[in-house]
Amino acid sequence: MAADPTIAQPFDFTAEQILTKQRGLWSQAWQRLIRNRLALVAGIILLLVIVLTILGTTTHLVQRHDPTQQIYVDAAGHSNVNQGPSSLHWLGTDTLGRDMWARVLEATLFSLKIGFGAEIVVVTVGITLGMASALGGKVTDTVVSWITDLAYGFPDLLAIILVRQVIFGRNWPIIGTGDPQIPGVPSVLISTIFAISIVSWVTVCRLVRGQMLSIREQDYVVAAKSIGASPWRVVRTHMLPNTLGPVIVAITFGIPRNIFAEASIAFIGLGVPPPHASLGSLVSDGYAHLQSNDLLVVWPAIVIGALMLCFTFLGDGLRDALDPRTKR
Amino acid sequence: MIAYTIRRIFLMLPLLLAIATVTFFLMHAIQGGPFDQDKPLPPGTRIALEQRYGLAKPLEEQYVTYLKNLAHFDLGISIATDRPVRDIIGERFPISVQLGICAFAFAMIGGLALGTIAAFNQNGIGDYIGVFVATAGSALPGFILAPILVITFVLRLHWFDVLGWEFGNYHKMVLPIVAFGMLPMALVARITRASMLDVLRQDYIRTARAKGLREVRVVVRHAAKNALIPVLTISGPVFAGLITGSFIIERAFAIPGLGQEFVSAVLVRDYGEIMGVTLFYAFIFAVMTLIVDLMYAVADPRIRY
Repeated sequence: MAADPTIAQPFDFTAEQILTKQRGLWSQAWQRLIRNRLALVAGIILLLVIVLTILGTTTHLVQRHDPTQQIYVDAAGHSNVNQGPSSLHWLGTDTLGRDMWARVLEATLFSLKIGFGAEIVVVTVGITLGMASALGGKVTDTVVSWITDLAYGFPDLLAIILVRQVIFGRNWPIIGTGDPQIPGVPSVLISTIFAISIVSWVTVCRLVRGQMLSIREQDYVVAAKSIGASPWRVVRTHMLPNTLGPVIVAITFGIPRNIFAEASIAFIGLGVPPPHASLGSLVSDGYAHLQSNDLLVVWPAIVIGALMLCFTFLGDGLRDALDPRTKR
Repeated sequence: MIAYTIRRIFLMLPLLLAIATVTFFLMHAIQGGPFDQDKPLPPGTRIALEQRYGLAKPLEEQYVTYLKNLAHFDLGISIATDRPVRDIIGERFPISVQLGICAFAFAMIGGLALGTIAAFNQNGIGDYIGVFVATAGSALPGFILAPILVITFVLRLHWFDVLGWEFGNYHKMVLPIVAFGMLPMALVARITRASMLDVLRQDYIRTARAKGLREVRVVVRHAAKNALIPVLTISGPVFAGLITGSFIIERAFAIPGLGQEFVSAVLVRDYGEIMGVTLFYAFIFAVMTLIVDLMYAVADPRIRY
């Protein structure tokens, strides 16, 4: 049947959309990110490291030794202590005859858990308090800024050390006893994650508060309010997505900072209790045995350096990608 | 400006009080006390010791005593060594300050030089070297750099000593300073480069060159002055961090500074010393933050308080 020109035809939305397909903010950012060679390589290396450590600690695909098993003499009767890299022990063995490849994998996984775990707490607390501070009225703002000032007034490392000592080795309602003798790693993991989070949520909180305050005055938010959008809708669909960019960049820089913080206190001697390892405690152990086997310190040092570099490059790339003003 | 300064100083007091309170209760929440050792003490000795250091009294009473003593600038007694914390700080802190100031000088001089060279040589070989050092420096924290330096310069080349600190003896000074100052140097270099590049694009630099000034004069008289403001801005926090954050470097190079002292106090749960040193660090930190804020106003005439 022929179209009656007097009747308005239904507008073909799909055709129009394909014609003027607008790429969204996120897809544009993604395009910019993968065009940044350095950030892309850094991201791929990070992904590889994560996959490798998870495979290495859960399966026997890339690792054939137990990281805590001490073998002083091998089957042929030769010493297995402080050996250089070989086909059996890819990174050699340490002063107690443990396989370094297995230990580095375990330590890397532990450090990554710290990095991501602490960042999850940081972001949750930071966004909640930052939003509360920016949108919750004068009293909330004052209280939150007081807490922020207090957390900021402590030198970082000092606070991490103190809080870690308080949490570590107590009986906590949900977390459990955290007895260093029993499962060991989980309790240290949780106490360290909380100790680091207590110091670093401040940055994200201030960031979110600042962003929210400036976005609140933007035309599109005022417009949304004036056409009667509910406050929750304004926050959810307009304000939160626009704070997300800087927060994502902050996360990318926050994770290596957490890894660095954990490694620092482990280096001082407040890390994982002995049979297990984190990157910092490996560096610390290796440093103590520099004269007998200097390779021990080199492997964890390389991993920490690589992680720091990759996260930095990825963070720089994300910042450029998420900020449309740096369009080149 | 003066009114602002006074207001800030008065605002510092509640902050320090809050820090003192938080530290006090954190400290007493740590599992185990200073007298828990491998071999249990005889009960009589233990009670006598706890009375001697006032640990037998109820917590709130201890807290009040602690605050009263603080009001007289008495930071308490170190239980492990039985000495006033003030004396320990007086003995150890100067070493940390020496280390911090040297590392700060290294970071500023190195960072400014690298950043300036990189900016004037944009995309040239100098730029690549500068950016490489800045990137590597920011990826190599002190406790990673320390073993690398020791392996290279002590164990292989035998250029330096590793242990201890002696002001004026460069054998003992160079490695800790480099390991400590590398991270801030990388930061300073990056910021110098960015702000220098920004300034070099300004019209007044083109004018200065157009009227035939020598390049050195353009840099020193016209570019440096404006390019340095961002560097000045971060130099305050960097300095505060270097003075109060030397735990790791002191541990790595066996330097008997306050950071090392604090760590061993934490390990033996020496309440008195931990609280005293924490408060002292927080105080130094607060004073530095204040000085930094005031410096902004002096450096940048656009800021008014």
